[in-house]
Amino acid sequence: MVLPLYVLAVALCVALAGWAAWFVIRDRAVILRQLFGAAAVEAVLVVQAVVAGVLQARGHEVDGVLFWGYLLTAALLLPLAAVWAFAERTRWSSVVLCVAASTVAFLQWRLWLIWGGA
Amino acid sequence: MGTAPATGRGFGRLLVTVYGILAFAATGRSAYQVATKLDEAPAAYLLSLLAAALYVVATVALARGGRGRWRTVAWCAVLVEAAGVVLVGALSAVVPELFVEATVWSGFGQGYGYVPLVLPFIGLWWLWHTRPGQHAPATAPDEPTEAR
Repeated sequence: MVLPLYVLAVALCVALAGWAAWFVIRDRAVILRQLFGAAAVEAVLVVQAVVAGVLQARGHEVDGVLFWGYLLTAALLLPLAAVWAFAERTRWSSVVLCVAASTVAFLQWRLWLIWGGA
Repeated sequence: MGTAPATGRGFGRLLVTVYGILAFAATGRSAYQVATKLDEAPAAYLLSLLAAALYVVATVALARGGRGRWRTVAWCAVLVEAAGVVLVGALSAVVPELFVEATVWSGFGQGYGYVPLVLPFIGLWWLWHTRPGQHAPATAPDEPTEAR
């Protein structure tokens, strides 16, 4: 993992969660544009995974099972939550997206600690 | 025709999401523990794995709409979770040496922000709230909104 990508991923997650929270307040359902936002988060996660893989291959010491388990969970969470949320056309879909984006941000922080970045 | 409101809609959408995240987290952690250090505390790690399996079952059962058999499955899973977290939580408080290694349920789910303590009771309430034969819509205060 590298710091800029970590910061970018967390920032995007927080922005997405905030956007969804705003929709909860406004009593609106998730819209397609928010799913593009989720896709942007996914893209950063994938790039981060590739970078982490390369750094690990070059000798970065990390608990592999733990790290890749968390990374896989973080990567799966948003797409699953997006599908689940989008099927609902009430404000609850926005609540789901908000919770999912916040969880991914939390997982990024956990990943950063496991990676040993300070 | 099913008269039971679906348990996966409205507020249930959120409940299933939180259940799903907990199921993911508990399954991941306990599978990791069982795979890498089962001999250190077999009882604790296997109990965690059992709890994780219950969360997976509850997630699926609630997401399936809670009709017929799925509703029974959801009731059972959520009831066992509620009993488990209270029982193991109390045991770990009274006899801490029984749970040197933390499980999902020890300390009333402390390791997971007490979500395992709160969630099953919300689940029970939701299953009761959406029980068959109720004519009040499950998501009364939330009229569907159009995507604008």
